[in-house]
Amino acid sequence: MDILMGHIISWMILVPFLGIGILAFVRDGEWIRRIAFGSTMVEFFLSLVLWRSFDFTQQGMQFVERMEWMPTFNIQYAVGVDGISILLVILTALLCPLCVLCSWNAITTRVRAYLSLILLVEGAMIVVFTALDLFLFFMLWEVTMIPMYFMIILWGGPNRNTAGIKFVLYSLTGSLLLLVGILGLYLEGGHTYDLLVLSEQTYPSTTQFWLFLALFLAFAIKMPMVPFHTWLPDAHSEAPTAGSVILAGVLLKMGGYGFLRFCLPMFPEASAQFAPYILWLSVFGIIYGGYMALAQSDLKKLVAYSSVSHMGFVTLGIFVFNSQGIQGAILQMFNHGITTAALFITVGILYDRTHSRAISDYGGLHKPMPKFVAFFFLFSVAAFGLPGTCNFIGEFLVLVGTSYVSFPMVLISMGGIVLAAAYMLWMLQRLALGEPSTKAAGVLPDLTTRELASVIPLAVLVLWIGLYPGPLMEMMDASVTHLVQQMAASQSNIPALTAIR
Amino acid sequence: MDAMAIFILIPLLPLLASLILVLGGRRWGEQSHRIGISAIGLSFVFSVLAFLEVLRNGPFTVSLYRFFQSGSLSIDFSLFVDQLTVLLLLLVTGVSSVVHVYSSRYMIGDPQYNRFFAVIALFTFSMVLLVMSGNLLMLLVSWEVMGICSYLLISHAAQRPSAGRAATKAFLVNAVADVGLSFGIILTFYTFGTLDIQTILAQAEGMQEHTINILGWMGLDLPIYPVALIPFFLFIGAMGKSAQMPFHVWLPFAMEAPTPVSALIHAATMVNAGPFLLVRLSPLLVLSPYAMTFIAIIGATTALFAGIVSLTQSDIKKILAYSTISQIGFMIMTCGLGAFVVTIFHLLAHGCYKAFFFLSTGNALRSVEPGHAHGEQEHHASQDMGVLYGGALLLALLPPILLFSGAYENLWVVTGFPSAAIGFRVIGLITVFVVSLYLFRSVTSLFIHGPKTYWPSLGQQGLQAHSIRPQFVNGSILTGLLVATLVIGVLLTLFWNWFASFLAPALALPGVWFHESPVDAGLSLWMVVAIGIAIAGWIYAYVQAQSGLQIASSVNRNRRLYVFFWNKGYFDEFYDAYLVNPTIQFSHWLWRTIDMSVIDKFIHSIAIYSVHFARWLWRVVDIKGVDRMVMGIGRQSVGAGHWLWQVVDIGWLEQKVNQMGSQADTAGQLLQEVEPRTLQHQILVMILWLVFATGLLYILV
Repeated sequence: MDILMGHIISWMILVPFLGIGILAFVRDGEWIRRIAFGSTMVEFFLSLVLWRSFDFTQQGMQFVERMEWMPTFNIQYAVGVDGISILLVILTALLCPLCVLCSWNAITTRVRAYLSLILLVEGAMIVVFTALDLFLFFMLWEVTMIPMYFMIILWGGPNRNTAGIKFVLYSLTGSLLLLVGILGLYLEGGHTYDLLVLSEQTYPSTTQFWLFLALFLAFAIKMPMVPFHTWLPDAHSEAPTAGSVILAGVLLKMGGYGFLRFCLPMFPEASAQFAPYILWLSVFGIIYGGYMALAQSDLKKLVAYSSVSHMGFVTLGIFVFNSQGIQGAILQMFNHGITTAALFITVGILYDRTHSRAISDYGGLHKPMPKFVAFFFLFSVAAFGLPGTCNFIGEFLVLVGTSYVSFPMVLISMGGIVLAAAYMLWMLQRLALGEPSTKAAGVLPDLTTRELASVIPLAVLVLWIGLYPGPLMEMMDASVTHLVQQMAASQSNIPALTAIR
Repeated sequence: MDAMAIFILIPLLPLLASLILVLGGRRWGEQSHRIGISAIGLSFVFSVLAFLEVLRNGPFTVSLYRFFQSGSLSIDFSLFVDQLTVLLLLLVTGVSSVVHVYSSRYMIGDPQYNRFFAVIALFTFSMVLLVMSGNLLMLLVSWEVMGICSYLLISHAAQRPSAGRAATKAFLVNAVADVGLSFGIILTFYTFGTLDIQTILAQAEGMQEHTINILGWMGLDLPIYPVALIPFFLFIGAMGKSAQMPFHVWLPFAMEAPTPVSALIHAATMVNAGPFLLVRLSPLLVLSPYAMTFIAIIGATTALFAGIVSLTQSDIKKILAYSTISQIGFMIMTCGLGAFVVTIFHLLAHGCYKAFFFLSTGNALRSVEPGHAHGEQEHHASQDMGVLYGGALLLALLPPILLFSGAYENLWVVTGFPSAAIGFRVIGLITVFVVSLYLFRSVTSLFIHGPKTYWPSLGQQGLQAHSIRPQFVNGSILTGLLVATLVIGVLLTLFWNWFASFLAPALALPGVWFHESPVDAGLSLWMVVAIGIAIAGWIYAYVQAQSGLQIASSVNRNRRLYVFFWNKGYFDEFYDAYLVNPTIQFSHWLWRTIDMSVIDKFIHSIAIYSVHFARWLWRVVDIKGVDRMVMGIGRQSVGAGHWLWQVVDIGWLEQKVNQMGSQADTAGQLLQEVEPRTLQHQILVMILWLVFATGLLYILV
């Protein structure tokens, strides 16, 4: 037991790679899928163990493991979780089994490679969310990009090459800035890559300014915030279902996680200095993403642009620097992971049947696919933040947090929620209600057992978090409170922040 | 958990029924109603118990669970039951059980029988939760769940495109209005630091002088009084749900729902949420005279406008919809005037009456619906004609009797200006006239002329022959409901005193607004005038009906004002032309012009130019510069070798130099061949440039 509990995060990192190792020796297609599913389930189980043994009352890192890796450069293998990252780890472990499930029949060529890529990305993301060493963080941050690129260009839609290149170029630009930032931190912070050591230090204002800028841009591209978002609709819509789920569900959260892990604790002064601009950019992004989604006639693009809008709430919440805002932002990341993944899975189910993503090719689905429409309806209303579903809690908390800063921002962001209701319901109306627009749409088969298995867990989560978010909030409470206090302590003498309060 | 915990069952039972029906899927089939009816029926029984409990021991609270806590914001879900709540509970569960029983016959043959019952149970649940919520966030949750239920019910006949459109429209109109509600709630939290309704109401008076600076983020100083502002925002939410102008457009469209649902929406749930919210927060409301005036004006305008529109319509369901809007407008107006008891009284009376009315309409419509088997019909409506007219008259007389009674006489001087008081009186009187007119007309149009326009293709002759489909169950329910309406109406009117004093503790009105001298203060002049006018309206409509004069005659259609109201004031057209379409067009423009042509093009151009730059670098610098230099060095070394050889004969040196030259040559050629215009190359170049640029940036600073 001790070997498991003492190294649980290492086990979580190891399991996907072990899975890949086993996959290499398996030939039978069905067994490949089973083994991949099995290893993601083991991972999920481990994440539940992690959750159960996590101490909510502690604000610091838990389950920390340290090992020398490259002593010459002071590089360590160091991992651990706190209240901010644990939800994202759980989210990763939760979504990957569903990814395997939803590509069970959809992927027919090079199955082994595809599933190995999913496992690879899963392992890499776990490391990104738990790494306590910047070098380790950066390395695996890069690793997440490669499987996604191959998933897009090998199994993607008709326009996959452009989308793949765009994704890689944007990501590389981002990671380059990240590299610059990390090297800067290494030089300024006393030649160490240790995250905990670096977070405790105070940096001179100019250093903060530039390092913040580099890291902010890197994370903003990943997020994506509005002027850097154009890779997202292409990548999301061309990627295969599991690719879109991982991209929207987890990869985007790396940006938000970066803000919380790097920008806020390390550069409080620069954060405060930039906050008003970032906040307005977020508000703009919320509205802009909403308008973009309203204009789409392609299902996946619509969901992708809605992500842009929802991610605006995340940055909005993070940069108001109070516990409601930050907790709301983390919750919004988690919830957005669930609802968007669910939407991509449901859209993928449709795509598997007709190989069309155009809304106008459907219509009247309520008749041939009542179960599908029920789930799709639930996920859509959750996506626009209907109270009683999970997204509402996050958005509400973010707005409450924002109200301490500025009321106009709250009002305008609420316009984004109305827009979200508009595009989601309009899409539902064109997709599910009325008469089928093509003959094929009228006779589509309803959900199979496996498809049900991939949407039911998400539906349960949507309602459970929507009606009882207390446990999730408790998990992050201590860490977020600590972060807010840290910010407040180092900022009490900064005029910019007192102005925006 | 105390004994009161049993009342959790009031919202829980409908929820459970809904869950069972949803999870059971088609298994329940046409037995679904049994689950719904028993759950809601029990819920009604518990509501009666709750009523008795409150009557005996006063209000009580049942705490449920801690929703979440974040910093200073902690939300505890609790049920709060007071006099106001129990009255509404009785109405909601009562009407809902009747609707359930009625629908069990009405919906027979519908392929989505189980879905229908699942959703109306959820609908009932959300309204029950709404009236019982002790927390503003809980209220918001149930408020929105109710909205989404109405969406599901309006789109019940999903194959009809109009149903889908109507459902989307209804939800979106509400979503816009709900921005007001949510913002109001956030502002409330900001001001009071809690969302618990009773705490807020208790603190409200002390917070009157509290100011917040809303322009702090700009560094400016603009203090406002939140207590004066909160009611405005909350009222905007109420305007959406209660279909007040200019958010009223969804309600007529909501008629796409099956008729029993309309009964539920108009009588028990949904539209009543607005007046309920205002009455629930009345202690907060009265602290903001401006908001009160605003509410009164909106209510009065809506009542008047919708009343007149309802007169011009010829579609029975439209008439009913606008009559509801008008009635709710009346309730809102009374709220704005501070006559909260009247609001609730009117709400209850209207609820009972409208439920009855809609269910009768449903019968009538069902019997003329295309393709419906008529079977043996029995003309039961004409037997009850007298009572129905009586009901209409009673409802028409309620407002004047209550509103102009002694207790509320002083309300009319609400703003302190005599002109305003007279203005309100005049509006009130006109509304009373119109109300009695259309109430009568809806009765006659249903039971004398028949619903001619609802299925125009069917022609005129449908109704006289077989007017009403009287299944035993439905017939007796309708009669029972009517009797109940009349009895409750008469009883409540008789016990007006009792009613007012029963409700008073829930309202906590300042003494100025309400004093203990109700109806028996005698008939005042205004009251007599008002009743006279109501009766006049009624008689006018009766005469008109007798003489067969059709309002919707061709002569009338040429009149501008008539056409204006006939077209419902062009609200729908206005919204479509100036709000909906521009938004969609704008989004398309934004997507194509800004997102695709500016932002994406910009990024593309960076990529393209770096490719161009890379090519330039390759052609100009790499080939012409470096390569030539290398080759040049080679060649010149060869030359130097030759020269050296000519000068000093060193054979081995020549050999070496020649070798070097040729190597450089092949290396250059090799480079040229390898030089790939591939992706990797472009990426490398980009990376190189970014490293260079950022490095430069960093060094410069």
